[in-house]
Order: sequence, then C-alpha cells, then structure tokens
Amino acid sequence: MTFDVVYGLSPLLVVALGALLLMLAEAFGKPNPQGLAPTGEVSDAGAGRAGELGMGAAVVLFVGAALSLGVWLAGPDNLVGLELTRPYLIWDRFTVFVCFTLCLGGGLSCLLAGGYLTEHEIDRAEFFPLVLFSTVGAMALAAAGELLTLFVALETMSLGVYALVGLRRTPRSSEAALKYFLLGSFAAALMLFGAALLYGATGRTDLAGIGQAIAAIGQGEGPGAAQVLIALVLVVVGLAFKVSAVPFHMWTPDAYEGAPTPATSYMAVAVKTAAFAVMVRVLLIAFGDERLTSWASGWPPVLATLAVASMTVANLVAGRQSSVKRMLAYSSIAHAGYALVAVVATIRSPAAEGSILFYLLTYTVSTAGAFGALILCGSRGKEAVSYEDLAGIAKRHPAAAMAFSLFLLSLAGVPPTAGFFGKLYVFQAAIDAELYVLTVVGLLNSLVGAYYYLRVIVFMYMREPAPGATLAVPMRSGYVASALVIAAVLVIALGVLPNVTLEWAAIATVGRS
Amino acid sequence: MSALGYVLEHYVVLSALLFTIGAIGFLVRRNVLIQLMSIELMLNAINLLLVAYNRQHGGPMTGQLFAFFIIAVAAAEAAVGLAIILSYYRLKASVHSDEADALKH
Repeated sequence: MTFDVVYGLSPLLVVALGALLLMLAEAFGKPNPQGLAPTGEVSDAGAGRAGELGMGAAVVLFVGAALSLGVWLAGPDNLVGLELTRPYLIWDRFTVFVCFTLCLGGGLSCLLAGGYLTEHEIDRAEFFPLVLFSTVGAMALAAAGELLTLFVALETMSLGVYALVGLRRTPRSSEAALKYFLLGSFAAALMLFGAALLYGATGRTDLAGIGQAIAAIGQGEGPGAAQVLIALVLVVVGLAFKVSAVPFHMWTPDAYEGAPTPATSYMAVAVKTAAFAVMVRVLLIAFGDERLTSWASGWPPVLATLAVASMTVANLVAGRQSSVKRMLAYSSIAHAGYALVAVVATIRSPAAEGSILFYLLTYTVSTAGAFGALILCGSRGKEAVSYEDLAGIAKRHPAAAMAFSLFLLSLAGVPPTAGFFGKLYVFQAAIDAELYVLTVVGLLNSLVGAYYYLRVIVFMYMREPAPGATLAVPMRSGYVASALVIAAVLVIALGVLPNVTLEWAAIATVGRS
Repeated sequence: MSALGYVLEHYVVLSALLFTIGAIGFLVRRNVLIQLMSIELMLNAINLLLVAYNRQHGGPMTGQLFAFFIIAVAAAEAAVGLAIILSYYRLKASVHSDEADALKH
C-alpha cells in the first residue's frame, strides 16, 4: 500500500527532494572564486557554479521523467494504493503522461540555463531550486482533482516562475517580472472567486463531486445555475490567462522577452503544459455536464472563440516582430490556440484528450529546442535578438543554424518533424468532432505561421549581415549543446515514429463519467 | 431570521462588493503597491465568501480550511510580489506601472 503511493508519486517526490538538496548544495557549497559576480554585489555560495548545479537539476528532472515512464509501464491503475491520494491528487495515466512532459521540458530548460547563466554572468544558482519547486507545483497541478489542491499547486508553480523571470537584475527583467506577477495574481484571484462560488453552489470542492452536483442543479434555471455559470466564466478566464490565450495574453510577449531565455523556455513549455492539463480536467470533470458541454449553453463556443482569436491575432502580430524572442513568444500564443482547438474537440471526440497530450509533448521539445538554439546563437554582449543578428549565421556557424532550422520547421508543422504530427492529430480530432470551421481556421493559420518561422531560416541562410553590424557570436557550451541534441533527437523520433507515443497518449484520458 | 441573525445573502453581496472594489482598484490604479493591495482585497473577499458558505454547508469545515490556505498563500505571494517591486524600484526609482514601458514591440 505505502509502496504503491511512494512508487506512484515518485516523479513528484524525487523532484521535490532534489530541489531541497540543491538548495542545501547552493547554500553550503564551496563558492567558485572565478565565478564571483564582477560587480562584487553578490557573493552567495552558489555564484559561479550555475553549470554544475544546472547539471544536477537536469539530472533530477530527467530521473523524474524516467520514473514517470516507469510508473506508466507499471500502470497507475495497478497501483491500488494510489486510491489513497484521491480526490486530492488523481494519479492516472493522463497525469503521468503530463509529468513526463513537464520533467522533460524542465530538464531541457535547466541544461540551457547551465550554459546561459554562466555565459552571461548572471550566475544566480537559485534558478535551479526555483525551477524544481515550480515543476513540483506543475505536476501537482496536472494531478489536482480538488479545488484547494489546485489552488496551492497553481501558486507553487507560479511563485517560482515570477522569481525566475526577475532573476536578471536589469530594468527589462524586473519589468517583465512585475507585469507577469501582477497579471498572474489577478488571474489567480479571479479563478479563486470562481472556485469559491462553485463551493457555494455545490457544497463540494472535489471536481468529481462538483460535476455531480452541477448535473443535479443543471435542470433548473434557479440562482444555483446562474452561480455555476458565473463561476465557469471566472475559472475559464483564470485558466485562459495561464495558457496565454488571446485576449488574456497581454503579459506574455513582455514577460517572455524580458525574462532570461532559459526561464522563457521553462515558462513556454512547463507552465503552459500544466495549465492545459488542469484546464482539460476541470472542464471535463467539474463542468462535464451535458448542458455545459453543449454548443448552445456551455463552454465550447467560448473556448472556440478564444482558440480562433489566439491563432489569428498571434500569427498576424508575430510576423511583424523584429525580435526573434518576441516572435517566439507570439508563436507560443498561437500554439495555445491550436491546443485550444483540441480542448474544444474533447466534447465530441474521445481521441481529443490524447491529441492534446501528444501536441503538448511535441510543442515542448520543439519550443525548448528553439529557445535553446536562440541561446546558442549568442554569447556575452553579443546576444542574438533580432532577425538581423542572425543574418548569415549559417555560413559562420552551420551547426547552430541547422539546429535552429530543425526546431523552427517543427514549430511550423513541416513533416517529418514532431510538430507536423502534433498538429495533424489535433486537426484530426477536430474533424472527428465535426468542428470544420475551427479546423479550416487552424490550417490557414498554420500557413500564416510558416511565414515567420521560414523568415528566420531565410535570414540565417540567405542574408548577409549589414556591413559594420555587431555580429552575434555563438557561445560554446556543452550544456546547451547536449540540450539541443536531446531535443533534436526527440523532434525527429516523434516525427518519424509517432505511433507508440501516440498510442500511449490515446489511452491517457481523464476518465470523465 | 432576525435582523441581526445570519443571512447568507448579506455576506455574499458584501464579498462580491469587496471583490469588485479590489478588481476595479487593480485595473484603474497605476501605483503597483496599491495594485498589490487591491489583489489582497480580492483575496480577502474570497475568504469571506468561503467562510460564509462554510456556515451554510456545514460539514467538514472545508470552506474555513480553504480560507486559511488562502491566507498563507497570499502571504507568500505578497512576499514575492514585494521583492519584485523592490528590485524594480531600485532600478527605475518608480513604482508606477505606466512607466513600465521598456518592453514594447
């Protein structure tokens, strides 16, 4: 019994334990005299050791991913003891799949940070415990089957990320953290008010219980039903903030651009993945009642509108950006739109939940890789920011350009990369659910999106840098290179052999009644 | 119930009012400290709502427990928020969100 719980929750426990150990290592370890901040401002023991601590954090997260795989193979349903954690944590195949994705995305971000923080002399090693604690929150959020757990997990994840964004002591980084913090807390408060109204209307805080109570209220038109609707709106708005869907995306470009790039990568992959997981669970379990999932009187039209707005607005604005990092931020908003199409499709297609999970996995490896390639293309004082910085980089540094191109093609959805199959299964699920308009809008948007991804490739391969311009010089870092190799192998593997992963994703459902 | 007795609706209306004041404060004020205070007001409105509903539903005190968790998490949130505001103030010598305009396309 106890073994079942410990083994089942081992991804979560290992990452939490790793975070505590890294905190100790950071506080009591021997400082590296060469790595002390040149300003002399900071002299904590972690300074100068971002590389090794990053390696430690990445190892912990990859172990977490491996344990998720182990739990998957053992089958969470066979671990009878896991019933103990219900309804607070629902540790089913859906959760375990998301945990794997989260650990992978977090691990890649830590490897990137190991190289990036050292290169840019930010060297604040508290980055890594923060990432690990946030990942613990993200995993608990994906598993949350109860409102209180959901709230605590959401805040555990978010508080760590707010600090990550503001890690760099520059006006831009602080400003990004400020904006993200204010809007993130506001969104959390809105969602929490919705949760309190749900508790009031149903007397329950577990999602399954809320779902049953809503089904019982649903028939009448009394104040109870109205209260549920207000709660639904508030919860959807809160979740839309977290997945950065238009029109709740205002903070995203600023926060993504101002944050240190590894933190941006972490936000783009882990926070978004966890938010989508909890969105699917809340909508299907708590608001899974027939009336609320119908096109006439429920959440599907609202989410469909968000999906169309996210894809269209983000793709149109992304094409006009001059900063590649900001373009990738808008691209992540567009990708939230595609995933929202799949969320809408869950109402009629049983395969849609699997397509979301598979999409999030492909999105995680492509996005982490793209930000990693952007990190690799710059070095201290010569960061690659704009398209012009990347001009002609293919001639000077063919490997960096090739890696970047691979991830951009995957984000654009070109076969045979992971991104292609991710999009394919999302649109397939949408067609199954007879959402033809959404599918067409999504496909058109993929074409628009290809424009700005290809533009980067054109700049890298076909443009010459303007005479006298400061050239971006790629950095040398084993950490960044290894992260890129892992991401590239996964992008190609998922693109060439998607079947096994897809079959796995297909059986990972939230088990709606 | 008597005029001084417990009426759920009063608490719900009061909570909704406080929450709205907080939300409007957050949206219209431009001093980030006041925006942070507005968020705290919103969270406290939620606490009031939870405790009032808990009285109605009785049972295992879930609402009260929820309120305690919110108080604790709000304290953590305020700590992180004030740290971010402080680091921003050190760099820009301002706490006005209108002046946070370094990041634009």
